[in-house]
Amino acid sequence: MKQIARRLAGHLARGLAMILVVTTISFLIIRSIPGDPMAAKAQKLMEQGMSPEQADRAVAVLYGFLPSGGMWDQYVDYMTGLARLDLGQSLTVPGTGVSTVLLGAAQWTVLPVLAGTLLSFLLGVTMGVYAAIKRSGKLGDALAVSGSLLHGVPQYVLAMLLAAIFTTLIPILPAGGTADIMIEPGFNAPYIGSLIEHATLPVVTYALASYGGWILAMKSSVVTVLGDDFILAAELRGLKRSFIFRYVARNAILPLFTILALSIGLLFGGAIFIEKIFNYPGLGLLLIDSISGRDYALMGGAFLLITVAIIIANIAADLLYTVIDPRVRDGAESS
Amino acid sequence: MTNASTAPGVRIGDLTVVYKTQAGELPAVSGVSLELAPGSITGVVGESGSGKSTLALSLLNAVQSPGRISGGSVEIDGLGDVVGLRGESLRKARGRHIGYVFQAAQNSLNPLKTVGKQLLDLGRSHGVDDLRGLVREAKELLGRMGLDGARVLDSHQHELSGGMRQRVGIMLALVLNAHLVVLDEPTTALDMITQATILRIIREVHEERGLTTLVITHDIGVVAEVADRLAVMYGGRIVEQGPTGAVLGAPSHPYTKGLIKAIPRLVGSLDEARALPGRPPTLATVPTTGCVFRERCAERMDVCDSDDPPALAHGDRIVACHAVGTSEPAQLQEEVA
Amino acid sequence: MSVTIMPEAGGAHATLRRNFWRGVWRVMKRKPSRLVGVVIMAGFAFMGIAGPLLYPAQLPRDTDALYAPPSWQHPFGTDFEGTDVVALVVTGSQYVLLTAVITAVITVVLGTGIGLFSGFKRGRWDTVLMRVTDMKLTIPGLPLLLVLSTVWKFSAAFEMGLVLGLLGWGGVARAVRAQTLSLRERGFIEAARGLGLSTTHIVGRELLPSMAPYIAMNALIAVTGAVYAQVGLFFLGVLPFEASNWGVMLNTAVFGGGALTTTAALPYLMAPLLAILLLTLGIVLVVDAMDEIFNPRLREE
Repeated sequence: MKQIARRLAGHLARGLAMILVVTTISFLIIRSIPGDPMAAKAQKLMEQGMSPEQADRAVAVLYGFLPSGGMWDQYVDYMTGLARLDLGQSLTVPGTGVSTVLLGAAQWTVLPVLAGTLLSFLLGVTMGVYAAIKRSGKLGDALAVSGSLLHGVPQYVLAMLLAAIFTTLIPILPAGGTADIMIEPGFNAPYIGSLIEHATLPVVTYALASYGGWILAMKSSVVTVLGDDFILAAELRGLKRSFIFRYVARNAILPLFTILALSIGLLFGGAIFIEKIFNYPGLGLLLIDSISGRDYALMGGAFLLITVAIIIANIAADLLYTVIDPRVRDGAESS
Repeated sequence: MTNASTAPGVRIGDLTVVYKTQAGELPAVSGVSLELAPGSITGVVGESGSGKSTLALSLLNAVQSPGRISGGSVEIDGLGDVVGLRGESLRKARGRHIGYVFQAAQNSLNPLKTVGKQLLDLGRSHGVDDLRGLVREAKELLGRMGLDGARVLDSHQHELSGGMRQRVGIMLALVLNAHLVVLDEPTTALDMITQATILRIIREVHEERGLTTLVITHDIGVVAEVADRLAVMYGGRIVEQGPTGAVLGAPSHPYTKGLIKAIPRLVGSLDEARALPGRPPTLATVPTTGCVFRERCAERMDVCDSDDPPALAHGDRIVACHAVGTSEPAQLQEEVA
Repeated sequence: MSVTIMPEAGGAHATLRRNFWRGVWRVMKRKPSRLVGVVIMAGFAFMGIAGPLLYPAQLPRDTDALYAPPSWQHPFGTDFEGTDVVALVVTGSQYVLLTAVITAVITVVLGTGIGLFSGFKRGRWDTVLMRVTDMKLTIPGLPLLLVLSTVWKFSAAFEMGLVLGLLGWGGVARAVRAQTLSLRERGFIEAARGLGLSTTHIVGRELLPSMAPYIAMNALIAVTGAVYAQVGLFFLGVLPFEASNWGVMLNTAVFGGGALTTTAALPYLMAPLLAILLLTLGIVLVVDAMDEIFNPRLREE
């Protein structure tokens, strides 16, 4: 238990450091955007009849710091604002806090990403075991090559290919959005059906994009474990195949949890493409739109939230690892 | 658990094991015949690559791919020829009839499960109904070997020392009441004191339970300590076998002589210890015709290049060497002169 | 296994090298598909170098045939201005290749340097550098690039390669460090020290050659990532427009030509997609071959 607490503390410390780095990057970028959008905004508000102080404060509500202050003061303002979870105001959705906009978008990213990850993890791990067992046969080869290819192809290529096939050539699935706008949102069958229909392509793309990685990782992990002495020892003790299979599977799946964390991070990156292509209003699309809409407070917020999601995924994966590997639990292996 | 008299005899007959390589199938064990008398401890000594581990695995018909048993038989009392066993009957023979103890340095336990859980898996695999009884038996065995049974069963592999792991390995090999036990390098990678303890345990358990035991090792000292009979392997063949004391006291095969000469003695000068010249052959470099040892042999003759020496009985031992024969003393004198 | 890092006579080195090439040949022969990978990569290299020379600087436009369907004259049709799509893909490959090479150089130099230094020095430097590397590996790269694009339009090939290289060395650094540490654990470095060899000699003559394959493989993987990121950034439209750029082609096909709803712009979309797929296939096959040449565990199968 003490070990788990120590690891958790380490993760939190590292997570905080990362958040600090990311927010500092956001701040520096917002500060140094060419054309100084804050000054321009203040100028515009003054032209609309505000006093310089009023304009300053209005802009500060938007960005989290006073446009006229010194660099360090601005930084301190920005950071204290963030510490109070005040991410500023959105420009594109006037009058709404950035956090509200972000939370609204987050659900459209988190659910499909998790569904896609789970799907591909289960499928990829199972296929990886087969690829390892049949590694000298044709089936194993085919599985490994398909895995490498899917792993190698970028998400947007997959997304566009799927879209080209299922929305253009054989138009059986909707091209974008979260649900048919003609249907009244609510807890009713047509709406939920429409939700699922619209989520199919994004989820399948997420799943396909990470599936290859799972196959490859599981295959190499199983091959390694199969060569381990304790598997031969178990065979020589006459253990039933079902037990040996479980020994192999559990030992082989362990290292995959580290990859799980990384892959969720990658998926959040990939979400940008997939949401853009399928016009799915999640965090990725929000980030793109905030950039093209020059909504810099929103941009910083989206960047921060994506980072936080990755940190959380990392911690979750590591805790999971700790729970299943007794060596890590007891701190026998320092990693 | 009462039938201490059921120690099985084992007859290995003309066993050949080949490994598939890019240069075709190469023999790791060729034409080996060896008999394990019921209730005896037999030691097999050889350098790495001599085929001794492959021989040990053959007793369980467990030669790992790309290797396979290509000829010969392994008759075990009560089991028949294990070379012909397949599938479930083979699996049930392993563990239940034949216990196998791995080298201590090899990790023979699942790192993610406690010893106790692995013991239960073993019991369930072999249809043991009385799992409590199995645990009791395991604790007793561990206790006999000087371990706290309850604590060990509750531990993961990483919480045990090399010597403790080795004792757990012996326990798992015996707990199902197997009467034929194969120990592959049982003391390698252990410190001297633990080595001595493990050897003492092997001898004690062997006698108490009435086992037939095969010890595979590269360490002549281990064999001298525990074995009744000794077989020396070189290049996939048994070049000499006989009662341990006799073979060590008066080796007849030039390789055995060389091995014994290479052991430094406590008394006498260090210069007397002489290493064998050359290197042991690998799968790829083993000669296909003639004697496998001739390249390093001090008593090499012309016939050694062309003819594989047959294993012939000479009194209480079996030797495969052209130089060992009726005219042995005379020839030896010639060599010296 | 076959990689020896202990100092040996020149003759031994030569044999090693000969064995190496024999190994390469064997691996290639066993699965001829890998040769295909080499051919594909060579093809792309040729296309990137010689491709633009085959076309005039200003690609001809056929204003009567906008989004023309595939024909003998235009195998993948034309774009929104009537330019031949194949010509666009071929001329666009130069940019892809150039950024890839620049990224590769920066990734390898930085990654190897930092990884070696970290693994060799260990101690405090190692901790600090690896923390930084870890952090770089976890900060979401693509969002960072997007955010960065608001202040700096890094669309020139050199700038793009620089940015991607600076973001991409983490993986190589980790791999090199792990290799250095494992060689160190096996006592190679101490042994070489004991023989009185200088650090430069140990690193340059013994460590680097034995790690070159790992570095090359990781660099190749990093480069693939860079190619995708680069095409992706242009596709998202956050960087200035350039006519013969694969990413821009994808962008205009999808968001201008509506390739995801109508079939007219589909060939225009497919051409760059196929180019990316083919490049991926080539790299995957080559990495697969390298993996088997340098990974004894797989080879022994």
